Order: sequence, then structure tokens, then C-alpha cells
Amino acid sequence: MSAVAAPERPQVVSHVQQALNYTVFDCKWVPRSARLLCLGSAARGTGIVQLYELHGARLELLREIEKPKPIKCGTFGATSLQQRYLATGDFDGNLNIWNLEAPEIPVYSVKGHKEIINSIDGVGGLGIGEGAPEIVTGSRDGTVKVWDPRQKDTPVANMEPVQGESKRDCWTVAFGNAYNQEERVVCAGYDNGDIKLFDLKTMSLRWETNIKNGVCSVEFDRKDINMNKLVATSLEGKFHVFDMRTQHPTKGFASVSEKAQKSTIWQVRHLPQNRDIFMTSGGSGSLHLWKYEYPARRSKEDSEGCEMGVAGSVSLLQNVTLSTQPISSLDWSPDKKGLCVCGAFDQTVRVLIVTKLNKI
Amino acid sequence: MPVWLREHSWRQTLTAVYLSLPLRGARATPANIFCSERYLKVSIPPFLFEAILHAPIDDTNSTAKIGNGNIFFTLYKKEPAMWDSLTLANAGKEKLQYLRENAVLKAQEKAKEETEAKKITKQEHKKYALEATMKLEEAERKRIEELKEKERQKVTEELEFWKNQQKDADKYKSIQKKGELHQEIEPLKERKNEKMNKTRIPNEGTSKIGLKSTKGCHGSCNIFSQNLKEEQLPAPRTAATIKVNFTPRVFPTALRESRVAEEEEWLHKQAEARRRINSDLSELEDLKEEEKNPDWLKDKGNKMFAMGNYLGAVNAYNLAVRLNDKLPLLYLNRAACHLKLRNLHKAVEDSSKALELLTPHVPDNENARLKAHVRRGTAFCQLELYTEGLQDYEAALKIDPKNKNIEKDAEKIRHLIQETMQSS
Repeated sequence: MSAVAAPERPQVVSHVQQALNYTVFDCKWVPRSARLLCLGSAARGTGIVQLYELHGARLELLREIEKPKPIKCGTFGATSLQQRYLATGDFDGNLNIWNLEAPEIPVYSVKGHKEIINSIDGVGGLGIGEGAPEIVTGSRDGTVKVWDPRQKDTPVANMEPVQGESKRDCWTVAFGNAYNQEERVVCAGYDNGDIKLFDLKTMSLRWETNIKNGVCSVEFDRKDINMNKLVATSLEGKFHVFDMRTQHPTKGFASVSEKAQKSTIWQVRHLPQNRDIFMTSGGSGSLHLWKYEYPARRSKEDSEGCEMGVAGSVSLLQNVTLSTQPISSLDWSPDKKGLCVCGAFDQTVRVLIVTKLNKI
Repeated sequence: MPVWLREHSWRQTLTAVYLSLPLRGARATPANIFCSERYLKVSIPPFLFEAILHAPIDDTNSTAKIGNGNIFFTLYKKEPAMWDSLTLANAGKEKLQYLRENAVLKAQEKAKEETEAKKITKQEHKKYALEATMKLEEAERKRIEELKEKERQKVTEELEFWKNQQKDADKYKSIQKKGELHQEIEPLKERKNEKMNKTRIPNEGTSKIGLKSTKGCHGSCNIFSQNLKEEQLPAPRTAATIKVNFTPRVFPTALRESRVAEEEEWLHKQAEARRRINSDLSELEDLKEEEKNPDWLKDKGNKMFAMGNYLGAVNAYNLAVRLNDKLPLLYLNRAACHLKLRNLHKAVEDSSKALELLTPHVPDNENARLKAHVRRGTAFCQLELYTEGLQDYEAALKIDPKNKNIEKDAEKIRHLIQETMQSS
């Protein structure tokens, strides 16, 4: 349970709990509203999208949409604020973009992958950042593909294994470094511990490393700035924070790692209003709130005069155990600081409020 | 027989009796004193003092002071009266006995009652302490709950406030948008003179998913504004592929640090198993069936050894070992061949390998071990490493103490060692 904290520490307060009758894989806030979406898989093997609205101390179901295949992940990252189309990846490898007002026919649909799409991310929408809106999907077939909703059927970038190489599952993808129209970077984490950073401007592999445990989730602290920090979480309760401002030619990026708990860390999400605070959700049903502190000097020179980064430190602000099952998805509300939703494998979705974030 | 202490002295007042008892050198502790209402006993083996008191005393309040080789009793009388004597006179033997037993019984009962009373008070104290702690914890818990509730309420209020703000903001925005569109419609209207579809703009209410109106000019106006926006976005990227290499991993499961050791072991074992099978396959296709059998090869080797063809024997054993490297006898026999061929180092190696494979040490492989030790010992001696050789011979002796040959050889080696030590 939560620590009996000094009153200055942020508290994680459980605001609403909603029991569902399906397995929820992803939950997302609808931007500029008090509504949230739950995506998942019903027991009969179909996909479910439910739209809830937060009314006081309860969630009201506004709409339920059923789709033929179970849905694994979704994002609003690549749509405009007016349209708010939802991009989803499902168990069959289909990428669909839906207009929630008219969900019978998708606005865009492609069978992007041969196997389940594990993770999806979008950039260029919602008035954040510049450049074309793009969606990236990572799948169990080992490929990472970037899609532009204006181009049908073929991806604009495809990161696939070399001919003859045995594939590894890609478990997570994230966009970053999208600070102008040309620059963009995709980070992908795989089940064998590989993290690869692809530069879309030069269409090349910019950096790779292996963190010795399967990578469950990667996220840049902000997608629309010069890449600053990247958090990668993995199995065995570890996560790494990489300082992405300084890349050394051989040593790559400096990092600090922390072992939070014994179980897998399923998700990491940065607070949209403060990029140094992030929350990790664990396989034991717990949430940890962390703060990253920068070192005195972010880069230093090594023996040959090359610049290398200096990693800072991470401190735990609060932790709370909400469930006995893993909390697989987490999303901060971009509109209200401290409001977040999490979905767990005990078929509940919880709306939480983290207090006192202003004082950090 | 106890030694009676009789030189006591006493004096009395109306309410108390003072008794002084010299101890004749014995040391007394409170355990030696036994007192009940009418009976007083001091027993310090072998000394004994007892007194059947004239009248009952209050034994709980009476005291005894031990010091200076003396016990000083202060006995408070139950009834204030002067006693004729300290002890009861004319006490018959049975009466004495009876009083003694009675006293003992009474004392026991008293002791029991006291322990019971103690127990009860202890329990009550415990209960009280427990209740007190529970109360404290409850208070603490309530305090925390209240704090949390307060937080929650505060936050809920803020949330509602924010939501209402959002609603208002959206309403305002939609009204604004309509205003803008209105302005855009005006010039359009002027262009499309007669083709004015609608003049009335329905109120969109609190719809949040933007202006998805599909009526007439609204639709076209929307697309109009949308087109403008699209021109600002860059064109879709030119498609490209990046080829990816993965850190190699044999297992299809995810990598976990805690499993790495297990996985390494498994792989190692697999590799070994494969090696053996592989060595079968390589050049053995041109051999006959029987030649692929290690036992047959061993027999062949033995025969050649017996005939003196040591090199041939070694070859046979080599092939057999390639097929199956876990048979100790192959190494053993090969060691013998090497000895004959004076390949002493190889002989040592093979005997060592044989010994390794001959663990655990059971009576069954005694014979083989004996031979291995002897051969290794011989090889060592021929290399002039006499101490090591002696070690092996002694090991052989341990296995079979009755073997005269080994004893003789061991003796010889000992002599040799002594000689070399003396000479150096």
C-alpha cells in the first residue's frame, strides 16, 4: 500500500474504478476532453472499444464498438485536434484509423503486419510538433513500419530483419526528436533486449544497444523537442533512463538504471506537463512515480576528447499498489495535470489523481 | 539425622514475636525458610530447626532477616496475646505430624492462589495494553483516511470545475468557429449568387467531436479550410527500408537476466550431445558396421595389445573414444599401451581420465581403479616424479592392501625417494 508519506510527497489517489467484462489492453484519454477510451479483447475473441466519460465519481459509458479482431493498442498521436481519429493495431496485424463518430468503416485500413501489432505510436497531430502526421507500428513479426495516413497500403519506412536473420518480436515503439519538419526518430524495443534508434531523415540506424532483458516499453520524454531523455523499461523490474543529448561514437548514450521491483515493468509514461516526472507500472499491480534529476554537467570529454553524456539520477517520489494483476497500460491526461488512467489485467480500469505535482 | 538447632532466643510483645536463631556457620537463603500460620521451619542440611508456634501468626506479613550468621524472625501474631512459650507445649508426635502436614498443605494452597491471582492480573494488564494500542492505531488510521478523503474531495472538485471549463471553452470555440465560417460563407455566397443552400445555421450544442456538419455550404466550407491546412503539411516521405540485425539469441523466448545461466547450461549440454553425434557422421561412413561399435573396437585393441602391436591398439582405442568418450576402460587400456610405448605423459593423461570417469568409487570398479593407479604410478616413476608415483601406489594399496607386488614396488619407490633426498 502507499507509504504513509510526509504531506509534501505526491499522493496517488484512486478516483474511480470501473470493472469491465473484457480484457483491457490499452486505455487512452481523448484529447481536450474528460473522456477516455478502453481498448481490448472480449472473451469471444472480438475487439472492443469503449468510450467513457468521467462524471464526478463514476465513469459513464458513452459508446461501445465491437470489431472482428481483438485490439491491442491505440493512439491519438497522429490526428488533428478537430478530428481526433483513433489509430489502432489489432491482433491480426491490421492498422486501422477510426472516426469514433462513424466507426463502422475505418478512415484508413491496411494489413500492415503478418502478426499481432504489439505497439503503436503517432506523431505530428494534436497540434504538437511539426511535420507530417505519421504512425509507427511494431509487431511480433520483427518489423517496425511507419505509415502516413495519406499514403495507402505501403509504409513510408520499414525496418525489417536482414534476409535470413531470425526475427525477434518487437514489443514497443516510440517517436521522438520531431522538432522540425524533417527530423524524426523512431525507437524500437525488442524481446531480446535490443533497443534500436532509427533516424527517419537519413533512413538509417542511428544507435543500438542491448539491455540484457526484454524491452517492454520505451518513451521519449517529449516527442516534439530535440531528443532529451529516453526511458526504456524491461523484464525483471529494471528500467534505464538514457540521456539523449550527447551521443558518443562508440559508447552511445549515457544511462542510469534502476531496479524498481521484482516483476516486469510494463509501461512508462512521462507527465505531459513536466518532462522529468514519469510513472512506471509493474507486473505486481503497482505504480511508481519517479523524478529524474539532471547532473551538474550533462556532458563531459573522454580520454580522446570526444563528448560523452553524463547520466543523472532517478528518485522515487511515490509508489502504490492498486491491483494484484499487472497494470499493462497507463496514460496521463494531457489536459489536467495529475489525472491519469490505468488498465490492468484484472479487467478493471482505474482513474487516478496524483496530487501535489506542482510542488515538485 | 539432622542436627537440631536449639539455641534460639526469643522475646515478644503483645502483637509480635521476635525470634533470633544462630546458624552455627551455615549459610541461609530464603529458600531454606518455610513458614505457615502455625509452623516455622528452617532447614539448612544438615541443620534443622522447627517450631510449632503457640498461636497462629500472620505469615504473609511476618519477616525474616538473614545476616551475621543469624536469622532474625519478626512474627506478627494473629491475636494479640502474650504467649507462654514460643512453641506449643505438650505436643504429641501425631499432633506434631499432623500440624506439619497441614502447614505444608496450607502453604501449597496459598502458593497456588497467589500464582492464580498473579495470572489474572497479568491477563488484565495485557488486555488493557492491547486495547490501548488498538485505539491508538485506529486513531492513526482514521487520521490518514481523513487526509486522503480531503485530498480526494479537493481533487474531485477541481476536476468538475475543469470539466465545466472545458465545456464552456468548447462551446465558445464552436460559436467562434461558426462566426468564422459565417465570414467565409459571406464571400462564397456572393460568388454563388443564386445557389444559397441554407441561411439557418443549426446550433451544434455541446458536440465535442468538432464540426462534422454535413450540410451544404458547411461541408464545402470545411473542406475548404481543410485543404488550406493540408498544403501546409509536407508530402509523405519517400518509402525506404532499413535493414536490421538483431543481437543473436537461440531461444524464441524473451531475454531475462535471471534465466541466462540456465540457458547457457542447456546450450552447453546440447552442444556436447551434438558433438558426439556429429563425430559419428563425419568419416565413419566408410567403416563397416562392427567397426562403429566401441566395444568391438576395444576388443580389437585388447587383442593387438596382447600380440604386442601397441600402435595398432592405440589406433583402435582412439577410434573407440571418438565414438564414445565416456567408457573408462578405453582410456585405461590406452594408458597401458602408452606405457609400453614409453609415451609416459600420455599414459598419465589417460589414466587420469580413466580415474575421473571411474567416480563414484564402488567395489565394482575397484579393479579398474587399481590398474589405473598402478599405471599412472609407473608412468610417474619412469618420469622420475617419485613422490607422485608413490601417491598413486599408496592409493592402489588402499584399494587392495593385500597385493604383494604393489607393496614391493611402493617400498622400492620409498627407498628411491630417500636416496635422492640424501644425495641432494
